[in-house]
Amino acid sequence: MIFKIAFKNIWRNKLRSWTVITAIALGIFGGLAVISTATGLSEMRQNNAIRTYVSHLQIHDSAYLKYGALDDTIAKEKDILKFIKKNSNTAGVSARLRIESFVQSAGGTSGILLNGINPTDEKRVTIISEMLQEGNFLEDFNRKPPILISQKLATKLNAKVKTTIQCSFTGAGGLPVTGVFKVVDIFSTSNSMYDEINAFVRIEDLRAMSQVYGSHEIAITLQDEEQVESFRDELIEHFPTHHIATWRGIAPELGYADKMMDLVMTIFLIIIMLALAFGIVNTMLMAVLERKKELGMLISVGMNKQKVFWMIVWESIFLALIAGPLGIAASFLAIQFFGRQGIDLSFAAEGLRSVGLDSIIYPKLNPVYYIVIGILVVITAIISCIYPAKKALELNPSETLRTA
Amino acid sequence: MIQVTDIQKTYNDGKVQVQALRGIDLVIKEGEFTAIVGPSGSGKTTLLNIIGGLDSPNYGKVKIGNTDIAQLTENELIDFRLNHIGFVFQSYNLIPVLTAKENVEFLMLLQKKDDKERNERTTKLLVSVGLEDQINKKPNEMSGGQQQRVAVARALASKPDFVLADEPTANLDSTATANLLDIMLRLNQEENITFIFSTHDQRVIDRARRVITMEDGKILSDSMKQMTDK
Repeated sequence: MIFKIAFKNIWRNKLRSWTVITAIALGIFGGLAVISTATGLSEMRQNNAIRTYVSHLQIHDSAYLKYGALDDTIAKEKDILKFIKKNSNTAGVSARLRIESFVQSAGGTSGILLNGINPTDEKRVTIISEMLQEGNFLEDFNRKPPILISQKLATKLNAKVKTTIQCSFTGAGGLPVTGVFKVVDIFSTSNSMYDEINAFVRIEDLRAMSQVYGSHEIAITLQDEEQVESFRDELIEHFPTHHIATWRGIAPELGYADKMMDLVMTIFLIIIMLALAFGIVNTMLMAVLERKKELGMLISVGMNKQKVFWMIVWESIFLALIAGPLGIAASFLAIQFFGRQGIDLSFAAEGLRSVGLDSIIYPKLNPVYYIVIGILVVITAIISCIYPAKKALELNPSETLRTA
Repeated sequence: MIQVTDIQKTYNDGKVQVQALRGIDLVIKEGEFTAIVGPSGSGKTTLLNIIGGLDSPNYGKVKIGNTDIAQLTENELIDFRLNHIGFVFQSYNLIPVLTAKENVEFLMLLQKKDDKERNERTTKLLVSVGLEDQINKKPNEMSGGQQQRVAVARALASKPDFVLADEPTANLDSTATANLLDIMLRLNQEENITFIFSTHDQRVIDRARRVITMEDGKILSDSMKQMTDK
């Protein structure tokens, strides 16, 4: 009967109840929409980073990371590559020779990092080959060694496909080297900062010019990301003198972004729950004050105060139980829809690229959040109705019957 | 039996102290049909509230049967009211979201009576107050007289020792008042239910068997009369 009265009580003032229910549902929807968008952004940034420049794992000579010297190439490179390729979880492995260079064209100059790569291997590790204007991933060239530059660098150098550019760098033994390359294609990733300082050439061309015949970096992509840590342990066991790091170690800012996102989500959840709590406190307090006489009557005729208390509590739980699923269902549908269609933020594409993001965002939410929100809504409803329910308990039946 | 001994009650009305009851002694026996009458402010409602355990006296004692209600804790007193006292209020005070049947059933649910007993008693009571055709109506779908009859049925639902009715006819027209008094008198005579009213309605006073007149917190007169009611 208490449930029945409590449920019927919330429909006494339909407009007020629906206003509160809508407010709670919108709060949940807004909160989950922001959290899912933020999660989508965070994952996109992370995936873009992994698929363009970080990979799942990287191997370097320990000294190379400290001093960046040209001759700090990876020892036992062939053994390492053989071991990695043998692993059934390996999706791709690419050895890179990386040399800092000064680049100049007829139209401008810049400092860049020349990445000497094997295009066939690199295709299995990064998605640079999918981000080309003409699809020529250092494969189709004539006479001059080919080079890939980014759109951003092309603009800076006033270069385009078929433009000849000159790269000056230090080769083996400290000898100055000048290489002439022909731009065969132009790429554009979602990270404009990366684009600005990276260019790709064939590893054999760079080796021939620099006389450095090893590699500075081995990048690995796995089929199953969950195996990254265990594969790293395996590699360390076999090659203990090398520096072997996962993407979290290579680009700690991505991990920090994850933690930051968790913090932002927590703050958002607190804000949602606080808004919900104040909404319920206000509504239930009004409901109690409006019904002083009736509550006084209930206590007079023999309804004990615990039952009165629980009646008020159930009223707010019912409000939350109606609003919660509505908000969660609306959020679920919206997140599913936009998770497939994406949210087009082309108008802010340039700004998004500067922080490694695409202009189409795909919201995503861990299903656990729906359950967490559902539980939090009910808990908040219970906590926030305690004050109004306590007010009801303070009623003196004879006074309420006389004065109300 | 209700035994009221030297009850005194003073209210603080802002800066002014109002002495609502000034030493009331009273005994009401089982089966009485008693009207407590007097002008507004004479202390009728305060006396009923104290007898019903809704208010406590500054001095004096109220015994209902063998129970001194001052000795009960708050929850015991609420339980005592549930099981021993029926209430009828001036403005009906039904639960607006429940039907007539559910309003009558409500106290029996608090008493944890089983379904069969609840249904039988609810039907019997609604028939006895002439509302068998209104059982599924909500208070706002009924007239004032009908609502007050539901309130009487509710007051009797828990099988109380007596019913306290505070100005039960104050909001009713003469027909509804006559109907209500007929029902209460019949219940009093046929089922020996004790009714105690506070009223200044002459129509109620005329039909009461005992009339206690109050003024300024004191009993002025207490008279029993032979029932001449038709």
